[in-house]
Amino acid sequence: MSEMGNIVKTASLERWFDRYFVQATVLPTFLVMVCVFGVPLVFSFYLSFTGWDLEQPLLAGRFVGLANYDDVLTNSVFKKAIYITLGYTAATVAAQMLLGLGIALLLNVDLPGMRVFRTALIVPMMVTPIVGALCWKLLLDPSHGVFNQWIGEKIVWLGRTDTAIYAIWLVGVWQNTTYVTIILLAGLRSLPSEPIEAAAIDGAGRLAAFWFVTRPMLRPYIVVALLLRTIFEFRAFDNIYAMTGGGPANSTMVLSMYTYLVTFVQFDFSIGAAAAWLMLLMSLVLCVLFILVIRRAL
Amino acid sequence: MAAVVGSPRMRKLESALIYATLTVLVLAFLFPVIWVLGLSLKTRAQVFAAPPLYLWWPTFENYAAVLARSDFLRAFTNTLIVSTSAVLLSLGVGAPAAYAFARFPFKGRSILFFALLVMRMLPPIAVLVPMYLLFNKIGLATTRLSVVLAYTTFSLPLVVWIMRGYFEGLPVELEESAGIDGASRFGAFMYVILPLARPGLVAASILCLQLAWNDFLFSAVLTNSATQTLPVMMTAFSAGDSGMDWGGLTASGMLVTLPVILFSFVAQRHLVAGLSSGAVKG
Repeated sequence: MSEMGNIVKTASLERWFDRYFVQATVLPTFLVMVCVFGVPLVFSFYLSFTGWDLEQPLLAGRFVGLANYDDVLTNSVFKKAIYITLGYTAATVAAQMLLGLGIALLLNVDLPGMRVFRTALIVPMMVTPIVGALCWKLLLDPSHGVFNQWIGEKIVWLGRTDTAIYAIWLVGVWQNTTYVTIILLAGLRSLPSEPIEAAAIDGAGRLAAFWFVTRPMLRPYIVVALLLRTIFEFRAFDNIYAMTGGGPANSTMVLSMYTYLVTFVQFDFSIGAAAAWLMLLMSLVLCVLFILVIRRAL
Repeated sequence: MAAVVGSPRMRKLESALIYATLTVLVLAFLFPVIWVLGLSLKTRAQVFAAPPLYLWWPTFENYAAVLARSDFLRAFTNTLIVSTSAVLLSLGVGAPAAYAFARFPFKGRSILFFALLVMRMLPPIAVLVPMYLLFNKIGLATTRLSVVLAYTTFSLPLVVWIMRGYFEGLPVELEESAGIDGASRFGAFMYVILPLARPGLVAASILCLQLAWNDFLFSAVLTNSATQTLPVMMTAFSAGDSGMDWGGLTASGMLVTLPVILFSFVAQRHLVAGLSSGAVKG
């Protein structure tokens, strides 16, 4: 190309951003993601079809077809863990959404001092999850916990199959309700005020204005919060590890906990990989949903 | 923001009701942390007192005991090293990529971007199993580098997501004029764009720092007693030979989490901006 052509080329912004700059900037991110994230994923996919243990070389596993998946899917603890995970996720997310929306609506009222309340309510979300869970474990302690001292009983909250899962649920709600609040508050702040004022002038009550005007406009934010919380509660681990370890009698055994125990306690890496991949597939469905939703919102 | 409406009396009543509800909520949400903070300032006898003590002269003996332990200080140093390295690596690698995602319509851009997002959404335990095996085989397991790499893969999508939003908000004319002034693409990015995107960098690094500081699972699996981070080290207090050490557990828990809480008060504006932009903007 001629000298003149080069000058014209560099003068135009489109050409100025040339291809190599893109490659140089994007490549490192993808190298890291592929090497540290992608390769292990592919490897575990391979492992899930083989019988393998830690003493063997990496690729020396014996091909067993779908036997690992068969083992996992017919395992009663795993099957129960699916129901517990889904139930826990649904109950936790539902409570977080309702409470989170309520708090966001309160914080959105134009009164002095609201910042103080918002700052204070963010605290549970900031507490290191494992520390938060251990705090609750102390509060719920059978003999010295403050809750039992107040009611004058010695209930083993975390050791009973009829209470442990509710305790886990409570901690999940306590921890991340504010996450929903933050997203919805950002949504509420971004809404135009005219439609709501117009509804008030037309004589709509507070509830009617919320239901027919605010709620539809807030919908994208609600959906995003809902999906993000679902994705994150589906993988819940720290609270359960710290408070019950999946017990008693597997009553709080969620999929993360099951995969952890199979892999790092029973050291059955092939079964662990199969369980992990089943979990991946389930969360992939959630991810695809999430992306479809935010793509439409873009 | 919604305003309180109605007659003056109704308005007063409603404001009072809103304040009352919020106060109750704040008390309920803060109670576990405040109570445990209180426990950490009690002697052993005071912790086990029944009915519970509400007023007492605070003691710092639990903190003194925890801070005198060499393994606590080592875990503290590890946490500092690991989380700052993960933040720096994530920003160094992720910010340029976010810039490319924001500015250049290259082939496969949206597929790559959503692939990154999906990686952020996958359950960590599913990646941890094979990561542990591979790291074990290549001798990376039990090193600090292994957790730094693990945290980086979880922070990178976050960095790219948040920073892309900030870069998109900057006018293209900035690079155009820098280009006319003779700056290279890299120069324009480094000296014109990055300084202007500082709020985004701050928000992203706070979220990454929190992610690395608070992690338990990866550190529990990938480190040993010499390289473990604080959240893992402190669980030792809950399962010692002589049962649960209430003083050690409460004091170390507060030492782990209070810096994050105080930091979040100072940096709240950035944090909220980062969380909501990362979550909502797409």
